[in-house]
Amino acid sequence: MTEFEDDKLTQAAKRLTTEIRPERDLWPGIANAIDAPRRSGWMPTFAQAAAIVLLVGASSAVTYVTVKGQQQPFRQVSPDLIFEQASFGSRYNLGPGFQDARSALTAQLDVELERLSPESRAEVERNLELVHTAIFEINQALEQNPDNALLQAKLLMAYREELSVLRRVGGLTRNVMMRNDI
Amino acid sequence: MAALLTANASDYSQYMVSTSRDAVADEAAWIGQAQRSDRRAFEALYRLHVDKIYGLCLRMTGNVSEAEDCTQDAFIQAWNKLGKFRGDSAFATWLHRIAVNTVLGRMRKSKREQDRIEVLADTAPAPLASNDAGDLRDLSEAINRLPARARHVFVLHAVYGYSHDEAGHMLGIAAGTSKAQLHRARRLLSQQLTQQGFEA
Repeated sequence: MTEFEDDKLTQAAKRLTTEIRPERDLWPGIANAIDAPRRSGWMPTFAQAAAIVLLVGASSAVTYVTVKGQQQPFRQVSPDLIFEQASFGSRYNLGPGFQDARSALTAQLDVELERLSPESRAEVERNLELVHTAIFEINQALEQNPDNALLQAKLLMAYREELSVLRRVGGLTRNVMMRNDI
Repeated sequence: MAALLTANASDYSQYMVSTSRDAVADEAAWIGQAQRSDRRAFEALYRLHVDKIYGLCLRMTGNVSEAEDCTQDAFIQAWNKLGKFRGDSAFATWLHRIAVNTVLGRMRKSKREQDRIEVLADTAPAPLASNDAGDLRDLSEAINRLPARARHVFVLHAVYGYSHDEAGHMLGIAAGTSKAQLHRARRLLSQQLTQQGFEA
């Protein structure tokens, strides 16, 4: 490549358009995402905890949705849980591993909340309420359209978010206890 | 939470009534409002900057659908990180950095994804062509065919004017590596364009 060619290329590159309008409006997708329960700025470790919970409960997370044979009956989940009406259509259901993990975390929730400051407790409760509202609304939509893959994916996302919040509460209180110990 | 199911109707027009003279002041106001979780102010910021961010993502990925995903991810990241924006740099620069990180993060996340982008870049109709002047379309298409690292350096340095230090910092490589990749990019581009009788 000669110096002349190099210079010609540089000049041409500077003339390239840097602002390009997308062919479609990307805002609706962004709006949907930012309307979902917002990650709080509790502590960076909570984001890691949220990731860990998905790893620790790999079997749970992966088996959120268990493919059922058509000859198998639809499995009913525990009625005392928020996801009692959960439905992933005619062929899928929440896995028992997820239910166990959630039950364990839920059982500890009140105890863990008591250890938090009022502000943190309010934020946790607000986050959980948002998630529960989402689950309720998605389930209502699924009743009308039980095999809608998009709704099923959103429901799965909402359950993951709930599990993430519950796990973060545990991480919060452990940190509180560590500080008290010192 | 209903927005999980349906997109809310846009109602940002009241945020977009200013003239360009007031754009800087408007932007600062929108940033402040968005930092207080005003979604419509953030939408105004999106409308103001989306062409810049999408342009960067499209240049870096060479693929329309990837660029759309990266743009959306970048703005979602920006929303989540808005509280940390202190105005040390221009908001556009801050967004640029987030967009670059988003592109790189997505490509690192899955090598298969990266391969797919490369393949698509080689075979898909040139998505950038209509945005550039006629004599630059060949260059745009040639940039799309560059290997990822060389393309990223060329786009940031030669197209967007970042220094090698800045480009290297954004890409997580040394400035010397950035220079080497730029040289490689220019050599590959020259080879491609010579074959096509490029005249800029």
